[in-house]
Formats: sequence, structure tokens, C-alpha cells
Amino acid sequence: MTGLVLLCGCDGFPRDPGETSQRVVREKAFRVAFVAPEISGEAPVSRLIRQLEKATGARSEVVPGSGEALLARLQSGEVDVVVGRFQAGSPWASEISMGPALSASGAPENRLELKAAMRNGENRWIMQVERASRVVGGGEVR
Amino acid sequence: MKNPHLPPQLATAMRQAVVLEYWNLFWSGTIILAMGLVLGQSQTMKTAWIEDTLGLVPPIMFLISAQVEQRGRGSKRFPFGFHRVNSLGFFVAAVALATVGGVLLCDAAIALLAAEHPTVASVVLFGHEVWLGWLMIAAQVYSLIPPMIIGRKELPLAETLNDKLLHTDALMNKANWLTGAAGLFGVIGLGSGWWWADSLAAGIISLDIINDGIKALRSSTAELIDGAPRALSSPELSDDALALRRRVQSEFPEADVRLRETGRLIHVEVHGVHSPLENRHPGHYWPSGDERSWRVAQVSFVPPADKKNSEDPSAQ
Repeated sequence: MTGLVLLCGCDGFPRDPGETSQRVVREKAFRVAFVAPEISGEAPVSRLIRQLEKATGARSEVVPGSGEALLARLQSGEVDVVVGRFQAGSPWASEISMGPALSASGAPENRLELKAAMRNGENRWIMQVERASRVVGGGEVR
Repeated sequence: MKNPHLPPQLATAMRQAVVLEYWNLFWSGTIILAMGLVLGQSQTMKTAWIEDTLGLVPPIMFLISAQVEQRGRGSKRFPFGFHRVNSLGFFVAAVALATVGGVLLCDAAIALLAAEHPTVASVVLFGHEVWLGWLMIAAQVYSLIPPMIIGRKELPLAETLNDKLLHTDALMNKANWLTGAAGLFGVIGLGSGWWWADSLAAGIISLDIINDGIKALRSSTAELIDGAPRALSSPELSDDALALRRRVQSEFPEADVRLRETGRLIHVEVHGVHSPLENRHPGHYWPSGDERSWRVAQVSFVPPADKKNSEDPSAQ
């Protein structure tokens, strides 16, 4: 058992079942989309994209589209990150993985959080985006 | 406190068992807390956590039944006392195990069929980013240790007390390494990119829960409907009871000898013969040695229904 745990300690753990991280490294590109077009120009979003590019050594490719159709494309693996404003109780919360908030707006009961969403289960890639989001959101970690 | 129902030679073992079950509750509580803090979206972790929580049922039922057995004296409403509280506790624990095991198995099967990819993200701990999976693995490893030790200590006490509830708890604890290993496989597999490992491990753990539940259900039901005494670790007839039956039958070959169990005690009914003239302690019929003769609580004789065909020994 100890051996098994040590074996997992090797680099590359956790791995993505859909190989998102591996593909980003191989193709030196990741696909990003925005739930609403105006989001792309916001400062925290630009910083997130730059941070991701810096961390992965890959360039971002913007995928056109908007709204919930993008989240469906995220689930099928056609998009790697979707950035948008989500409510705390969003029905998508269990369908996709959301990173830490980049910024927040609105009253506490209707609070909207600007955050990145990733495909469920792509744990290494999710960690990568979470790390970048924390840096942008102000909670830099080691 | 003097126990009106417990044979005196079992008092020490019962005290030790009660103390052990309090420790069991304490350590199980720490495991449930540790696992609960790192559950995430993992089906394996959820199933293992529910199994650990369900693991509280047997010790709680044991402590309640020990308390009732100690304090509960026969009354007008319960003239036979509370020997069967232990059996009722055993039945409740068995139903809980089998039901929840079934629900968890369905959950795991649905997740597997729907090809759900569970997310295990990162958390920030003391300023460091840590993959939650590592914390899950640590919690799973920790969850293996206390049950293994407690299970080993419970087993001899359960045999001394002939207590099925305690025995079920001991076996569940001892077998916990299996579910722990399945849980570790689930989380490590998930980290290795095998999305199916999580649901598969959860399915294996739920099968183990169902297996425990069904075994316990068969034994407890048999006792509650006056079945012949069952073995501690299986629904088969107990060797003790079979030997006792042979012993009584050898003395009354023409009789119909029936045995039933109430809690840890055996009641014998000898049908079709008159009782012997001399007074005998029920332990007299125990087949080998005196150590466990306390198990025979009562031997009753039911004379033949047709008086004309029977010989009344008092007339001699």
C-alpha cells in the first residue's frame, strides 16, 4: 500500500482522464471562451488568461460563442476554460467545476461571482486554473 | 452495578466490552470527522464515509442493549425481562447496513453508467496548495488503523459473551482494511486519470456493506422468530446448540427437542416426555464442561398431549 502511495507521488499526479493538461503542453495552446462577450475585456479576466499562458507556456485561443451552449461544449471537451459570472446556486455547479472567484458583484443574496469553469474530472487542469485564479483573485499560494 | 440477567462469570468480559465500545465510538468519531472534511465529489469517499458512520450503529446498539440488559428487570408488561433487546439491536443494525449498502450500490452503478468524471480539486492549506486527493488518501489510511485494533480486541470478548452484535461489530472492524484498500484504490485511480476507479471502488465497498448486512439480517431474523441458535459468525446452526441438542436427545430419545435463543442464552423445550423427578440445574444438560453452561437458561418439559398413552412418573 505504501509502495502504491509512493508510486503516485511521481510527477504528473493527478492526471486528467480527458488529457487536457497533456494536450495543452503538447499543442502549446488552450481554448478559452466567455459566457458574455464583454467579459473578455475585464481586467481580472485578462490577468487570468495571461497567468495561465505564463504557467503553461501555451497561448490562449478564443472560441466564439456565448451563454449556456458554451458550458455544454465545455462538458464535451471542445473548450478548456469558460469564464463567466455565476450565481452561488447555479444549476451548473455540479455539471462543471468552478474555480475560485476572480471578483464578485451584487447584493449578498444575489451575489454574482466572476470565475473560470472547467470540465469535470480534469483534475490536473482544474488545479492549474485554480492556482491562476487564486493569483488573480489576490490569494497567491505556494 | 449488579446485572439481573447476565451470568456472573460474564461480568468482567461485559465491562471490558462496554469500555471498548466507548473507545470505538470515540475513534470512529475522529475518523468520520477526518473523512467528512475531505469528502469532495468522490463517490468512493462518500461511500466510505457513510460506511464509517453506519459503523457507529453496532456499538451504539450494543451499549444501549447492555444498559437495558443491566437495568431492565421483568415487569408486568415485560415478564420475561429484556434478554432480546440485544437481538433487536442486532436486527436494527442489520437492516441499516443492508438498506444503505443497497442505496450506495445503486449510486455507484448510476455514476459508472453515466460515466461521471468526479472532480477532486485543490485546497489551500497553511498557504500551500494541496491536491485534495492527498488528504483523502491520508484520511483513508488513518481510517484503517483504529478499527483494525478495536476489531481484534472485540473478537475474543464477543466469543466469551456469545454476543452476536459485538461479533458483527468486530468482524466489520476487522474487515475494514478491505474497504480501506478499495477506497485507496478509488482515490489513487482517480488521481491516475481512471475516472471509473472511483465508482468501481464505491461499488466494491457497498457490496461489502450489503454482505455484512445480509449475514447479520439472516442471523438476527432467525433469533427473533425463535429459530434454532445460530453460530456467532454465520447463519449456520451453532455447534454448541447442536451438541446440546444431541446431549438432551440422548437422555430423552423419544422426545422432540427444540432449542431457541434469546440474546446470548439458550432455551430448551423437551416435548413429549415428563420432567425428571430430581431437580436439575439447566446447566446439567450442557454437553462439555461448565465454563459455558451458563448459556442454558431454561429447560422445560412438555408432557405428551394424550394422557392415556403416556405414563405419569408421579404415579410410580
